[in-house]
This record gives sequence, C-alpha cells and structure tokens, in this order.
Amino acid sequence: MRLLVIEDETGIARFLKEGLEEEYFAVDVAYEGKSGLDLAMTNDYDLIMVDWMIPGISGIEVCKQIRRSGSSVPILFLTARDTLEDVVFGLDSGANDYIKKPFEFEELLARIRVQLRKTNQDADAQSVGSLTINAVTHQVFCGSKEFTLTPKEFALLDYLVRNKDRPCSRSRIIEHVWDMHFYSDTSVIDVYINFLRKKLEQAGCGNLIQTIRGVGYIIRETRPDSE
Amino acid sequence: MTLNVDKAPERHESGWKSLPSMSLRNRIAFYYTVATAFLMAVVFAAILLLVDRIVYMHFDEELRHEVAETFEDAHVKGQAFSGFDSFRGIGGTDDEKGEHKGQGKKKELDSEFIQLVDSSGRVVTKSANLSHNILTFNPAYSGVRYFNSVAGDAQVRQVQVPLVNSKGITEAYLIVAIPMKSAMLVLLDLQNIMMVSFPAIILILFILTRAIAGRSIRPVEEVIATAQTVTQSNLDQRIPLPHNHDELYRLSATINALFDRMQDAFQREKQFTADASHELKTPLSAVKGTLEVLVRKPRETAHYEERIRYCLDELNRMARLIDQLLMLARYENEAMNPNIAKIDIAEYLQSVISRLEPLSVEKLISIKLENAPSGVVAADPAMLEMMIGNILSNAIKYSPAGSSIEIGTARRSGLLVCSITDHGVGIPEEKLQNVFDRFYRVDESRSSSTGGFGLGLSIVRKLADLQHIGISVSSRENAGTTFELTFPAV
Repeated sequence: MRLLVIEDETGIARFLKEGLEEEYFAVDVAYEGKSGLDLAMTNDYDLIMVDWMIPGISGIEVCKQIRRSGSSVPILFLTARDTLEDVVFGLDSGANDYIKKPFEFEELLARIRVQLRKTNQDADAQSVGSLTINAVTHQVFCGSKEFTLTPKEFALLDYLVRNKDRPCSRSRIIEHVWDMHFYSDTSVIDVYINFLRKKLEQAGCGNLIQTIRGVGYIIRETRPDSE
Repeated sequence: MTLNVDKAPERHESGWKSLPSMSLRNRIAFYYTVATAFLMAVVFAAILLLVDRIVYMHFDEELRHEVAETFEDAHVKGQAFSGFDSFRGIGGTDDEKGEHKGQGKKKELDSEFIQLVDSSGRVVTKSANLSHNILTFNPAYSGVRYFNSVAGDAQVRQVQVPLVNSKGITEAYLIVAIPMKSAMLVLLDLQNIMMVSFPAIILILFILTRAIAGRSIRPVEEVIATAQTVTQSNLDQRIPLPHNHDELYRLSATINALFDRMQDAFQREKQFTADASHELKTPLSAVKGTLEVLVRKPRETAHYEERIRYCLDELNRMARLIDQLLMLARYENEAMNPNIAKIDIAEYLQSVISRLEPLSVEKLISIKLENAPSGVVAADPAMLEMMIGNILSNAIKYSPAGSSIEIGTARRSGLLVCSITDHGVGIPEEKLQNVFDRFYRVDESRSSSTGGFGLGLSIVRKLADLQHIGISVSSRENAGTTFELTFPAV
C-alpha cells in the first residue's frame, strides 16, 4: 500500500513516514501543496493524507483538484483546525475523513485501514485458500500455522491478496509497494515473488502466486484439477 | 393594625416602581396629557376669571350710569346733598314705570333698585319695585363702593354713594342695585361646561396621544426585534434602515455600526484563537507523534537521542509561544499601567544595544548609534527595552550577515523620534499594514527556520499603545526596513 503525505511541518512528516513505513506502507512526502498535487496526479496512491494549512496551494484546494481529476482515492485531512465549520468544510471539499491534530498514531492507523478496505464487508484479515493474512497484526497464517515474512514480503503479499483473482502488473506492484525513491527496474519484484513462493511452499500453502507472462502476477486459490 | 402598618409601605413601593416600568408610548402619552391638562386648566381658569371680571365691569358701568341718572333726576351735582326732598322722584319714577303693565313683571326682575338712607342707615325712600325688601346698607363703607349683596332672595350688585352736605358731612347714602341672576347663570353654565369638558378632553387626548405615540415608536419595536435575534452566531444580521433619515434611522445605523465593530472584534478574536490553537497544536502533534512512533519498536541509542532532542526543541518552541501569548494576554488588559519614568534616550539606547550585542555579533552585524541628539523621554524602561529588543532582533534576523543596523534619534515637530533601520530583505508594501497583526508573518510559509510566531510586533505595538508611543514602519523590498518610535511630549 502506497501513501502520500502532504505536510509542511517537517517533524510531523518525518514521524508519519517513519511510523507508516514500519507498518509496511510505502510513503511519499510532499512539503507543500503544488508538489503534493503533482505527486497525487502522477502516481496511483492508495491513500493521501493532507494538512490544511500548507504553503502554496491549500490542502482544501489540493483535495478539490484531486476530486476534479476524477480520482476517488481516499483522502484524509490531517489538521489542527478543529471547529465544527472546519470539519464540515473539509469533508465537503472531498475528504473521506478528518483527523484533528494532535492525534493518536494508533487511531490514524485504524482510520487508514478503514479507508483501505474495499468494502465494508472486508475484514482486516483476508484469505486465499488456506492462506490468511492480517493487515492489523501483520501476521500470516497457513491454516492455523503462523509463519513470518520480512516487511517488504508482507507488503507485497498484502497487495496481491487485496487484489486477489485480479492480475497485478509489475508497474502497479512497484507503484503500490515501493515508494518514489525506488527507481530500479521491476526485476526486484521477481526476486521478492521468489522469496514469497518459497515461504508459502514451506508453510504448506501450495503455489498460490502464479505468473502471467508479459504482465505480472496473480494470487488465487489453486484448483487441484487444473494442476 | 400591625398588618396595615406592614402593608402600607409595600403598596407604596410597588406603586413607585410602576412608573419606570411604564411602556414608552404610555409614558409619552402620560407626560403629554399631564402637560396639556395643566395648560388647559390655566387657560380655563383665565377665561373664567376674565369673563367674571367683564361681567362685573358691565354691572358696575351700569350702576354708575343709574347713579348718574338718579342724580340728574334729583338735580344733584356731584354728590352734594341738599335735602331728602329732591329724591322724592325715586318712588314717582317707579309709579310712572308701573304704568307700562306689559313690561311690569320683567321690570321687577331686570330694572334697578334705588334706595336712599340717612347717615344712621334708616331708609328714607326707595323705589317701588323693592316692595318690602330693603337694600343692604353698610355704614363701614365710606366713599363710593361697589359690592355684591342680596335683596330679598335675589343676588344683586349694588353701589353705595355717600351724599355730602355743604359742610362736608355725609348726610345720606344713595344705594342703587341691579340683579345679577341672568349673568350669574351664564357664568355658572360656562363653569359647568368647562368642568365637564376638561376631564373628557384629557381622556380623549390621552387615548389619541397613546395611539400616535404607538405608531411613531413602532420602528423602535422592529429595532428591538431584530437586535434580539442577533447572537454571536448570526452577527452578520443587520437592522433594516427606515426610509426617513430621522432619529430612528440614526439609531438603527448606530446599532448596525456597533454590530459591525462587534463582528469585526469577534472575527479577529476567532482568528486569533484559531491561529493560537494551530500554533500550539502543530508542535504538540509533532512531539506526540514522534514519541508514539519512537516507542513502538526498540531502536538504537543514537536514534532515541536524536528524536528526544528534536522533541525538546519543539517543546522549547512551544514554551516560547506560550510565554508570548501570556505576555500578549497580560498587555491586552488595558488596566495594566506602565511605570512611566524619565529616560535619557541616548544613554538608554547604548545600554540596550550592548545587551543585544551577542545576537548581532553572531551574524557579524554591527549596530550603530547615530548622531543622537540626547533627550529625555517618558516611557516604562522595561517595556521600552522589550520593544527595542524585539525590533532589533527582527532586524538582525532579516539582515544579511555583515550588514549594519542604524539606530538614530531626531526631533520632529518638538517630539523625539527614535528610528531603527536595517538593510535586510524588507517587507513588501502590501504586507506592511499587517505586520503588527497577531500571528501575521510576512513570509507565508510558516518557517520554523526563522523561528518566529508573528507575535513579536503585535506585542511591540501593544506596549507602544500602553505607553502612548507612536509606532510606524516603512520598508523597501530588498533594501531594508525602518521602524520609528515617536515618544509623547514629556
């Protein structure tokens, strides 16, 4: 999951990036409105966090322009403005949620997860075949047996599971799992896919990740008859 | 008994209170009616008095005429008495008149009564129409005297004329009277009409005035209604102005202007609170978030140290902001009295500069005290130092390293002016007017790099206001800024 943080206060931007990356998110940071909007328009983010009062274009304007471009990416307002009018105005300009500073980091994470659920039925734990993955605790189970993954492996698996039964192109995987500072070629994905396949095999989940030649990868339940 | 005593003052008090709580229209009607009633009473009384006077004047005129006629008949000159015989005609005249039977009854009523008495009051002769009645004789009256009296059962106006013999001794009196009945009836009628019409007119007047007053103060009710609906949340509402440019128009306009000022003040206060809360919450969130993320996982010592140091810096910044906010709040209180003292400005500036030296030396900026015409100014030394210190530290902050800052004093139209000039980045002209506003920063990106909150100059201005020091700023972008303090006359 790749997030964009538009926040001019360096201290806040820094702990957000650090804390969110430790939660296996890929995080980009913009320190003012214009560059934030540029990033939001050119990249396919899973969620954008915007501060209201930022230099250049205001957070409200950033939010409006993103919506005007037709994007439905979840946007969280992150601001110290706390009056009722501010909250209403912020939400009405297209934000999905409004978080008042100072906030609890745990609450921010929970609110991010809410926005990342595709539908309300989706639980934070998702499964493919005997594989179960919990986005809150970052635990991975094969049946009832837990096994461990590195943060990057988890982020990759999480992305594939969230898009299960749908082919994921290498470029989309790069966009959503790695942040903007990662510019090397997509072969790094193949390396991580190999790691994942081995660990899944060892845990006894079988070969869930399949290669779609020329496109990328897909995770789906393997039917024994097709093997 | 005791109950009565207790109750009496109570009733008195409630009666006393009812007047101030009377509605305006009733009060206007009441006062108007009272004034008119008084005026009417005076006019009515004057009319009655005048009519009364005129009636008596006519009676007396007629009496005089009758006396003269009687004297003529008796061939008497002046009031000279030449014996009772000459007055025998009094009775005879009456006999003659009696012959006109048709008018007899009326004559009885309207015509004059004549009577002659000797000096002891005995009736010598009298006109026949008096029949058995006699006219009142008052021996106490000397000289010609007009007075009211009664003859039989009829009210009369009579005159008593002394008749004097050749030796100057009063020998007899001629008394002539005329009945007043019809005139008295007219007078009484007039009085009655006035007595009845007075309360009626007053009552009608009160009702009319009340209605008119009600009509003319109706716009006031509208003003009240609008003013009542205006609260803090809908301060943008205004009283509709009436068409006529009258007192009510002025009242409405005045109240609207008051609302304008209130709205402005509320808006500024709201903005200030929002800014203050933003300024406090931002570093608070940064510290809180940083520490929360920090304790989620074990980390290396250097990492901890770096983050804790960052948090300390932010907390210091917050502490500085809180200090400034408290200072502003304290100075906002107008009751705060500066300890005004007489300060020798040149000496004072020198000491302030030497205290700020460490700041300027760091950036290799020289502060020069220019051709100071020394003078004494009235100011609070501590406040003045805070002001100059604030302006100087701003000047240092926005000046390039190695430049200079000049402090000069001058006399302008008798007042001492102290100027502080830097050669720094300057302030764009359109932003110059806002530099004294709270939380206003010329550089819009809330730059932690310069570390300011935008409160310094608003504190300076507050301090200047408290000491009645005039403060102004002029600037040219990329050339420098000059602050001028104009001290009040000592």
